[in-house]
Amino acid sequence: MIEFSNVGLRYGQGPEILRDLTFRIEPGSFHFLTGPSGSGKTSLLKLLLLSLKPTRGEVTLFGKSTSALNQDELLEMRRHIGIVFQEFRLLDHLTTFENVALPLRVLGQPESSYRANVIELLEWVGLGHRLNAHPPVLSGGEKQRAAIARAVIGRPDILLADEPTGNVDPELSLRLVRLFAELNKMGTTIILATHELPLLESFPFPRMMLDNGEVRFAD
Amino acid sequence: MQIELPLLRYFQLNRRDRGTPIVPARSVTGRTLVLLIAIMTFLSCVTLGAVVLVQKSALAWSQDVGRELTIQIRPIEGEVMESNLRTAVALAEATPGVAAARALSIEETQKLLEPWLGAGVDLGAIDIPRLVVVELSDPAEADTDKLAKDLAVVKGASLDTHAAWRQQLNAMAGTIVASGLLVLSLIVAATALAIVFATRGTMASNREIVGVLHFIGASNTFIAGEFQDRFLTIGFRGGLLGGVGAFLFFSLIGVAAGSVMPGAAGQQLGVLFGRFALGVDGIIGILAVVPVIAALTAITSRITVRRFLQRIAS
Repeated sequence: MIEFSNVGLRYGQGPEILRDLTFRIEPGSFHFLTGPSGSGKTSLLKLLLLSLKPTRGEVTLFGKSTSALNQDELLEMRRHIGIVFQEFRLLDHLTTFENVALPLRVLGQPESSYRANVIELLEWVGLGHRLNAHPPVLSGGEKQRAAIARAVIGRPDILLADEPTGNVDPELSLRLVRLFAELNKMGTTIILATHELPLLESFPFPRMMLDNGEVRFAD
Repeated sequence: MQIELPLLRYFQLNRRDRGTPIVPARSVTGRTLVLLIAIMTFLSCVTLGAVVLVQKSALAWSQDVGRELTIQIRPIEGEVMESNLRTAVALAEATPGVAAARALSIEETQKLLEPWLGAGVDLGAIDIPRLVVVELSDPAEADTDKLAKDLAVVKGASLDTHAAWRQQLNAMAGTIVASGLLVLSLIVAATALAIVFATRGTMASNREIVGVLHFIGASNTFIAGEFQDRFLTIGFRGGLLGGVGAFLFFSLIGVAAGSVMPGAAGQQLGVLFGRFALGVDGIIGILAVVPVIAALTAITSRITVRRFLQRIAS
C-alpha cells in the first residue's frame, strides 16, 4: 500500500531532513511514528499526504508512483487519505456537523445524501449531542474527536495522525488512540505520529522510529 | 407579495442546499469592496450615459443639417437678384430628392445678420448676398451634383451642402465617444485591479481555510467557486447600488435642467445637448452595467484565486 524507495527530502538549499527512507507498509496495519522533536515526523506525514514531493527517491501509494501524478490524479489519491492534526484545524464558523461533512460537501454531494452517515459517525465518536456546536465552544477532546470524524467520513484507506493527542490530557489520549484502533480493526491503515511514551507502551502496535533523518522499525 | 427573480431563486436554493458558506462573509473585505464597486459602477453608468447623450445629439444634429442645403447668390452688377432667386428656386425644385425650396426675404436675411451687425442697422443701401433654403425629402437620393451643375446658369450662385460642418461635427462627436469609451475601459480596468487586490487579501486571510480544503481533497475549481460566490454577491450589491445611484443622478439632472432653465432656454439647451432624460434604452444600458460589473467581479476573483492556488501548488 505504501512504499518508500530511497526517499530524501530537503527544504530549499538546506540539509536533508529525511535520508534514504526505504520501507513498505502493508494495508490494514497500524504503526506509531515516533522520534524526537524535529526528527521529520511531520515532513514524512506530508510526503504521505502528497502535500510535499520528495527531492529524491520514489513514493508509491496504492501501487502507483506519485512522482508523475497530474493535479486530478493527485486529488483523487488524496481523497483516499485522511489526516488528523494536533491543532485540530477545524473551521470555526462551521458547526461540528458541517466540519465533519466537509470532505463529502467538497465532492458536491447533497446534504440529504450524507446527513444520516455523518450523524451516525458523530454519535460513534461521542459527539451526537454536539452536532450544532461550533469549534470554539468544544473542549480539546471534542475538537479532536470531530477532527477524527472528519478524517474518516470519506472512508479513507489510509489515516494519518500528526500528534493527535498533543493537546489533550493523558486519559483522553488513551481513549483517542483506542478510537484509532477501532478504525484500524475496520480495515483502515493507520500511521499515528507521537512522542508520548505512555501511549506507545499502552498499545502493541509496531513503531517507525525516525532519528537523524533515517527510519528504523521496531515491534 | 414577494417577487422572486429566477437568478435570485437559483442562488437562494443553491445556498440553502450547500449550508453555511465555507468562506465566511466577514472574512471578505465586503463593505469597502461593495462601496468601491458601487462608485465604479456609478462612474461607468454616468460615462456610458454621457457617451450615449453625445452620440444621440450628434446624430440628430447631423441628420437635421443633412436635410437642408443652402444656395447663396452673391450680388453681381448687371444681374437681377429677384430673377436669379426665382431661377435658383425653380432649379432646386426640379432636382430629384428635393421637397421644397424657398428664398429668404430681405427681412429674414437681415435678421440672420443681426447677431454680427446688431439690430437697427439699415441694410437697404448695401447689396447683401441672398439665400435659398432647400429642404430635402431624402438626403440619400438628392442629386446635389446635378443641382450644383444646374446652378452654373445663375451668376454668383454657389451651393452649400454643409458637408464640412457635418464632417467636423461627426469628428468631434466621434472624439468624445472614443474618449468616453476609453474612460469606461479605464474604469473597468481599475475595478478589476481593485478586485484582484481584494481577492488576494481575502485569500491571504483565509489561508487556513484553503489549507483545510486542500487536505480534505477539494479541487482548485471547488475552492475558486466558493470564493467566486462570495465576490459575485459583493459585485451584485455594489453594482446595484451604483446603478441605482446613476439612475437617480440622471433623473435629478433631468429635473434640475428643466426647472433651472424653463421655457425657451431649456428647449434650446435640449436642442444643443439633447434631453437629460435616460429614455428606455438608457435604463436598459444602466441595468446592463450591473450584471456586467457583478460578472467582472466574480470572474476576476475566480482567476485570481486559481492563480493563487496554482502558485501554492507549485
